[in-house]
Amino acid sequence: MDNLGIVFALLGAVLAALMAGIGSAIGVGMGGEAAAGVCTDDPSKFGKVLILQLLPGTQGIYGLLIAFITLSQIGILGGSGDISLAKGLLYLAGCLPMAFVGYWSALKQAKSAVSGISLVSKRPDQSGKAIIFAAMVETYAILALLVSILAITGIGGLNI
Amino acid sequence: MAVLQMKRISICALKKDRKPVLELLQRRGAIEVDSVLPEDSVFSHTDTSANRSIFQKNIAAAASALEILNQYAPEKKSMLASLEGREPKTNKDYDAFSQRYNAVMETVYEITALSRSIAENKSEIVKLEGQLEALGPWLGLDLSMRFKGTGKTSAFIGVLPGGMDLESVLEQLSQQNPQLPAVHVEIVSTSQNQTCVFVLCHKAGAAQVEEALRSIGFAQPSNPTKRSPAERKEELTGRVRRAEEEIEQAQKKIASFADQRADIQFAIDYFTLRLEKYAVIGELAQSKRAFVLTGYIPEKKANTLKSELEKRFDLSVEISDCDPSVDSPIMLKNNAFSAPVEGVLESFGLPGRGEVDPCSIMSIFYYVLFGLMLSDAAYGLLMVIGCGFALLKFKNMEPGMRKTLQMFFYCGISTAFWGFMFGSFFGDLIQVVATTFFGRPDVTLGPIWFEPVKEPMRMLVFSMLMGIIHLFTGLAMKAYQYAKQKAWLDILYDVGFWYMLLVGLIVFGLSTEMLPGILQLSFILPSTAGTVGIIAAGVGAVGIILTAGRESRNPFKRLLKGAYGLYGVTSYLSDVLSYSRLLALGLATGVIATVINSMGSMMGGGIGGAIVFILIFLVGHTLNMAINLLGAYVHTNRLQFVEFFGKFYEGGGRQFQPFAVHTKYYNIKEETYNG
Repeated sequence: MDNLGIVFALLGAVLAALMAGIGSAIGVGMGGEAAAGVCTDDPSKFGKVLILQLLPGTQGIYGLLIAFITLSQIGILGGSGDISLAKGLLYLAGCLPMAFVGYWSALKQAKSAVSGISLVSKRPDQSGKAIIFAAMVETYAILALLVSILAITGIGGLNI
Repeated sequence: MAVLQMKRISICALKKDRKPVLELLQRRGAIEVDSVLPEDSVFSHTDTSANRSIFQKNIAAAASALEILNQYAPEKKSMLASLEGREPKTNKDYDAFSQRYNAVMETVYEITALSRSIAENKSEIVKLEGQLEALGPWLGLDLSMRFKGTGKTSAFIGVLPGGMDLESVLEQLSQQNPQLPAVHVEIVSTSQNQTCVFVLCHKAGAAQVEEALRSIGFAQPSNPTKRSPAERKEELTGRVRRAEEEIEQAQKKIASFADQRADIQFAIDYFTLRLEKYAVIGELAQSKRAFVLTGYIPEKKANTLKSELEKRFDLSVEISDCDPSVDSPIMLKNNAFSAPVEGVLESFGLPGRGEVDPCSIMSIFYYVLFGLMLSDAAYGLLMVIGCGFALLKFKNMEPGMRKTLQMFFYCGISTAFWGFMFGSFFGDLIQVVATTFFGRPDVTLGPIWFEPVKEPMRMLVFSMLMGIIHLFTGLAMKAYQYAKQKAWLDILYDVGFWYMLLVGLIVFGLSTEMLPGILQLSFILPSTAGTVGIIAAGVGAVGIILTAGRESRNPFKRLLKGAYGLYGVTSYLSDVLSYSRLLALGLATGVIATVINSMGSMMGGGIGGAIVFILIFLVGHTLNMAINLLGAYVHTNRLQFVEFFGKFYEGGGRQFQPFAVHTKYYNIKEETYNG
């Protein structure tokens, strides 16, 4: 049973990358569909709608970030990989905020980005506002990222 | 930090000078024209919609001709064309062009006509090819398809359904009519669906033969040719060839106009200019011999323009103050350091009435926050080099593009600065390269200050400190705005009490053991400071409760509103926490860069390892830089718009839109007139 620590820790890392990545992939895909629609009418709006399309993409990167920090902390990227069960579970828990918030915030941000894209298609001068509406959602992904980073970097020093 | 002071200007001039006066005003581009004078018996507005629609038609025609031209003779554009801006032209070029725009328009119409003939010929070819295809099965026939027979014989040329050979045709015919007179049947061609036949019989039996033929499904071809199918084919192919030649000639002809592309573009600009001028003429109040133009003008341009106009024409110019109850248009004026962020401000909204232009303060925070989020020295240097090069190389760049590049130039400097502070140069590139390829793990680029990856809490505290500074500056801006309006008490109510409350709470927090413990600070303020802090916070809180609802007369409602105002303190907490994105995004850049480097070094040292490393390095860092540039840009904007502007700025001003030269292809430059 003692060997299971590394398993749970890796599960956490993988979940963060998986869920946030899936969320971002769906989100950027939704944005891309809407953006392509706008570009059929007016190709000159490409730059503006591209930014909006990319906004839900950051969650996937945050997921990658958490996965990578976890991998290097638990010694999979060179190291011993000797982790107690309790620590493994802690790593798993530490990864969950990024996994869950990453997934759902990417989806919600994508919806708000799609609405923003339709805003830009009608009033291109308002693209700054459209970006902000979508970026508001990202705040919660960033907060989750923060909690995950703080948790994961803190676990290594615990004595259990 | 300035919103330019606007003045009202009204110009009364003679109608005979209308054209030169308006052209001068358009070239100076200093007046936003509006029509406030009501029509009366002397002054009236002219309807210029007819002229304007002609100009619009010409612009549309020229634009479509240009599109056709670009299709057949594509314009060569370099990758950086969008940076080059419009080619400058002088007023002389403009005047010269106005002499010959008719010739250019003829070219435009010719191109349009040629393009139409190409389209017509193309559809002709499709039609002819359809006919050729229908002719295919008849090629074996050497008679006209309308051949009806000779003096004694009748001929039937037509199609039978299904594929048949001679025997089955004859058999079916004799089945229909056993007493059928003698017939001669020739199969011209046969396929799965149809058989083309030529049937000859004596004239006497023609009716019987025809009936028998009809009953087995004989049908005459839909449009029989006069000549034999082979000749017909030759004729049709000839016509196709001719149409193709015509298309080719038309295309060559269109392509030969490539050297007139510039003229067509100029025509678009020319008519755009005249369109705008006529729109202004429509706004003028005109009498029989004079006209009056009214509008807004920035104060500092007013006197120069006035003296210039008075020197050149017989007219009267009056300049007066703006009516403060009417919103005048907004034009921003900032120094070279702050002007680049004007575009960001415009995307939020220009200053509304009573608001100051926050660009100069905002620019400092913008660059610093952007740098903290990207925080990689190499990325920053790349931005500085790229933007600096483009700014130096392309002198004609559009002002908007120039401002954006300048903004990223300054952001790049800040990014490089913070990158060195935190010891990040393409992530940990130097260490990875030294270890993998040179076996020197001791060579590293140490941080000047500290490494956020190793001490995230320290970075978090620093981020929140930046947040507090940013937010307090926002409050100070609010005080400054009140001071400009001389609303001294409001400064105390809306700013002073908040400072007391917030600073008091922070001081008190730092004097307890809990907060420094969480934040891992090395100091605790003495308890007396905490007591002072909590008293100040209390005074501030009471002040806010008493004053935040001061616009309500009802004392009960007022207290409730005040309590709600105090509740706003929670928003400060979330605002400060929001700055934790500085840490998160900064880490994201650094850690992803590290991932890329360690992926690249997986193949180890040596030549092969170096090649793999370079490939992964190029692709990975390009991606990382792009995605994090976007992130830093978006989130810096967010911190400015939501957290910073939330404290004092609403926007809603109207952009100053002068009557000026708004061209698409050429920048018609002002020469200095010396009389």
